[in-house]
Amino acid sequence: MGCPFNVPQDPGKRKFFGTLGLIAAAVPLATIAPWAKILGEDTDIAPMTEGNSNIEPFVSAHQNGIARSMQTNTSFATFDLTTTRREDVVKLLRVWTDAAQRLTNGQQVQSIDQATSSDDYGDSGKSSKSNESSDSDDTLGLSPSRLTITFGFGPGLFLKDGIDRYGLAHQRPEALIDMPRFIGDKIVAGFDGGDLSVQACADDPQVTFHVIRELSRLAYGIAELRWAQNGFVPKFGPMETPRNLMGFKDGTINPSIKDPEAMAKFIWVGDEGPAWMSGGSYMVVRKIRMALEHWDRMKLSFQEQTVGRYKLSGAPLSGKNEKDPLDLDAKDADGNPLIPENSHVALGAPANNDGAQILRRGYSYDNNLSFTAERWPPWHQGMEFDAGLLFMCYQRDPRTGFVKIYERMSKFDMMNQFVTHIGSGLFACPPGVKQGEFIGQRLFS
Amino acid sequence: MIYINFNSLRFFLIVYLLSGFVVTAFAAPQGLLETIHHHITLDSTVPDNGDLNPYAIVVAPVSSGNIQKDDVLVDNFNDISNLQGTGTTIVDYRPSTKHTTLFANIPKKLDQCPGGVGLSTAMTMLKSGWVIVGSTPSTDGTTTTKGDGCLIVLDSTGKMVDAWSGPTINDPWGDMATIDNGSTAALFISMAGFGVPGPKVIDPKTGYPPIIHKATVLSLDLSIPDGKPPVLLSQTIIGNGFSQRADNDNFLFGPTGLVLSQDGTLYVTDGIDNVITAIPNAATRTDSAGTGQVVTHDGQLAWPLAMVMTPAGHLLVANGKNGKVVEVDPISGKQIYAQWVDPDQAQTPPGNGDLFGIAMTPDGKGFYYVQDDTNTLMEAI
Repeated sequence: MGCPFNVPQDPGKRKFFGTLGLIAAAVPLATIAPWAKILGEDTDIAPMTEGNSNIEPFVSAHQNGIARSMQTNTSFATFDLTTTRREDVVKLLRVWTDAAQRLTNGQQVQSIDQATSSDDYGDSGKSSKSNESSDSDDTLGLSPSRLTITFGFGPGLFLKDGIDRYGLAHQRPEALIDMPRFIGDKIVAGFDGGDLSVQACADDPQVTFHVIRELSRLAYGIAELRWAQNGFVPKFGPMETPRNLMGFKDGTINPSIKDPEAMAKFIWVGDEGPAWMSGGSYMVVRKIRMALEHWDRMKLSFQEQTVGRYKLSGAPLSGKNEKDPLDLDAKDADGNPLIPENSHVALGAPANNDGAQILRRGYSYDNNLSFTAERWPPWHQGMEFDAGLLFMCYQRDPRTGFVKIYERMSKFDMMNQFVTHIGSGLFACPPGVKQGEFIGQRLFS
Repeated sequence: MIYINFNSLRFFLIVYLLSGFVVTAFAAPQGLLETIHHHITLDSTVPDNGDLNPYAIVVAPVSSGNIQKDDVLVDNFNDISNLQGTGTTIVDYRPSTKHTTLFANIPKKLDQCPGGVGLSTAMTMLKSGWVIVGSTPSTDGTTTTKGDGCLIVLDSTGKMVDAWSGPTINDPWGDMATIDNGSTAALFISMAGFGVPGPKVIDPKTGYPPIIHKATVLSLDLSIPDGKPPVLLSQTIIGNGFSQRADNDNFLFGPTGLVLSQDGTLYVTDGIDNVITAIPNAATRTDSAGTGQVVTHDGQLAWPLAMVMTPAGHLLVANGKNGKVVEVDPISGKQIYAQWVDPDQAQTPPGNGDLFGIAMTPDGKGFYYVQDDTNTLMEAI
């Protein structure tokens, strides 16, 4: 095993260290304490995307983890704000924004040589931080692997237990509803909601976990983790739809992220307000446990009718190719629909939901085993795979997106016999940031 | 509205055709099932409180209070925890609007109801507007914690006005057959809880919980004063010795389907013994007929549960062990045929554990049934 500090850097990382060297020469080292650094005093971090396909720039009109081809791994976490001070929230968002810029650029939250130097100078004025390592450094030498970081604001940021902690209640979007309880929901206590959310996606699980770990550390004293879940999808080609643990392609009917009109219509918040959300999107998260043992004992033909698609090709049962449109009117020789009306795809189809569309960015999860009691005949109980889908989707308005679609699905989807929703959340993801801004800045201005 | 149209359903129907259960297309129908071609999901039976596991189905005979004539009342045996014997709600599906509303939500604990409330398949609505529903309660979803239960009387707005319990009432379980004369009525209910232990008490000879032969069929005579709740006048045990057994998955087995024919014969399904029996002169008898006379057994029957009578006098029986409904001519004792109305292959065999309550549609041309796998009210037409 080689020295971790000696591994080859990608071009962007080498450029960062070069830039840092220039800064260090011009600024007294004592002023570059970890918090000062993170709080954005050094805000001239140059985007380093040129020629590096592993970097997805954080500075952009929309948050960079939404209209993006999926990476293979995600780490998702929600946080409860423990502070009662608005300025703490602003400070945290500044810190997180700066950290996100660095991390997506393939940098540490603070470089290890910088941390060593500042440690040498003792108390930096942030005594609680002065003895901390400035970064866990477990991703040193790793490529950013197309890391994206998407932040969201939960209802608790605006009003919690009837208290407007930060003077933001009047800014709460109408679309940021309290998620309804759907039929069949078995939300595990503590696995719902959160005042803030962070979704890190990258092609390396250590990179995504590193993000949650670092942002959690930076939130110390202001916010604490509420629930988290890692996820994965298999490696797949850029134009291919990943398969979920049921073996089916998942996300075929997504609107195209390359279609600006569709994205504007279905995904991005427009001028309907509030103004601070313009260009943002709403993220619904559902942790969905799959009864894989049960599913695996089903015949292929039954699985396909439950989903409404062929397993191998991903084509709808009315077609031959994955991208063939769903023909919900297609009938067999007996006059029955080729795609069963209580199949998963039929119930989720835009044609059956007044044209509603959402952008699915779901990941599989695998938490090994746990005891469970299946909630369908024959009600098997025992140790089963604790695995399923970390369903995530983005939309312009959840009331006309996920909630509308899932309300009928929760009642009638044949797949409900194999899945149970055990975690839930809805978050307002503000638009992206300009250089020097912090995430959600317009909400606080 | 969703039409269930799995290829598997058609497959099973074809099997029956090939098996000679159905006569040729040119002959007059032998019964109802061969005229049934569509299975429609009407609505979810889950109310806002999350109650699950629909059991009883009753079609309202009159309009009264919050109920309109031909509304379909469905009760739930489980609460949101999915533990059996804990459901407290009755929902009302209105065919004219295709919407379902909550009709009643009964408190989980009632002083007059030993063990609490878990609404069973015993339910009826009288012409006077009163709704009577049985409780077979548990706290852990098994008979280990079951109580004796009770019969609960509700007005037509869903408000509880009375509850009956006592030594003859022990887990009212199956369909409630009714003779309703307006100011008087007779109810026929099976009691399936006498002496039933928890499901972990195993008979070493069978490996299953012991079969107890203490289940009864109870007749209750009611007086219904004008504008006042029914008064329980007398009770008669007209059948006894039926088999009953605890079950970890199905809570308990016991006599479940009760149907009264026009000649006064009460037909009873006995799931453990896989049999339908007949108790003659049910309306007038003053003694017990034991388990009655065997009408038919085994064949297509597989844990027969709820039962209803067609206009032609045939019995339609919902199988618990598979998703079939079996049509029986009770006079000849012939099982005419069966239809796999719930072919859900998520269970083995398909539909296992899915069916329970069943009721004829008002026009007599189809029937309602519930699917416990999806918690939905279905219509077969």
